[in-house]
Amino acid sequence: MPELRLSMTAEARNVLSDLLRLIAPAAARVSVNRAQIPNLDPEIATYWAETLSAQAGEEARLLATAFASAKGEPAIIVLRNKAQALAFLRALSAVRFALKDLVLSDIPNSQLEDLEDLDDESLPSEKRHALACYSCFGLLQSSLIDQIDNESFD
Amino acid sequence: MAKTKIQPNIKTETVPKLDTRWNVLVLNDPINYQQYVILAFMTVLRVDRTVAQKLMMAVHNDGRAIVWSGDREPAEMVALELQQWHLQAQLEKDA
Repeated sequence: MPELRLSMTAEARNVLSDLLRLIAPAAARVSVNRAQIPNLDPEIATYWAETLSAQAGEEARLLATAFASAKGEPAIIVLRNKAQALAFLRALSAVRFALKDLVLSDIPNSQLEDLEDLDDESLPSEKRHALACYSCFGLLQSSLIDQIDNESFD
Repeated sequence: MAKTKIQPNIKTETVPKLDTRWNVLVLNDPINYQQYVILAFMTVLRVDRTVAQKLMMAVHNDGRAIVWSGDREPAEMVALELQQWHLQAQLEKDA
């Protein structure tokens, strides 16, 4: 699979990077807390919690590095192989979950992707900002999924 | 000389039935896109796109669906891998 590229404006890169810096530590915690860890066996539960916690840390680092490396206008994130692309996809999912849990918990699920809410001035500006970022992370995910060579997964 | 009696040291333990099957369930969530879930199923469950799409639609329409069944250890691994994709995967003993 050739390298994949995610392109965005420098302004979008800056906004998303700032948000990631704020939310990344909490995103890791949300990711582990939300997991349905089975209580069948304490050893397994510990292994799951450690695995998910380590992954959450890696995802935070991956996102931070990727956004920091995307310089210029447009800012371009380059993902060099399939493993990196899939890890990036998962990391974006973790951030969207964290945003929903920590900032957007009072927004109905049906309105999470409703861009009209971005102009809804009854919403506090930090919520509108979080909604915009939530949508942007989703757009990056969609773009990445579109680029992945689906045949290679069949 | 008296013979020494050897007492066998017998311990008993309960071993779960080997044929118990475990199901991996995935619950619907409002965050992950359908295409993302299909990709996760194709990667983790190693199924083709058609099967992955059917499983995704079952989760989407019914709120939850069994996506894998089998022995406990592999079921644990499948559930953990799906959680690493941030899907809401659960493990349950087959009724």
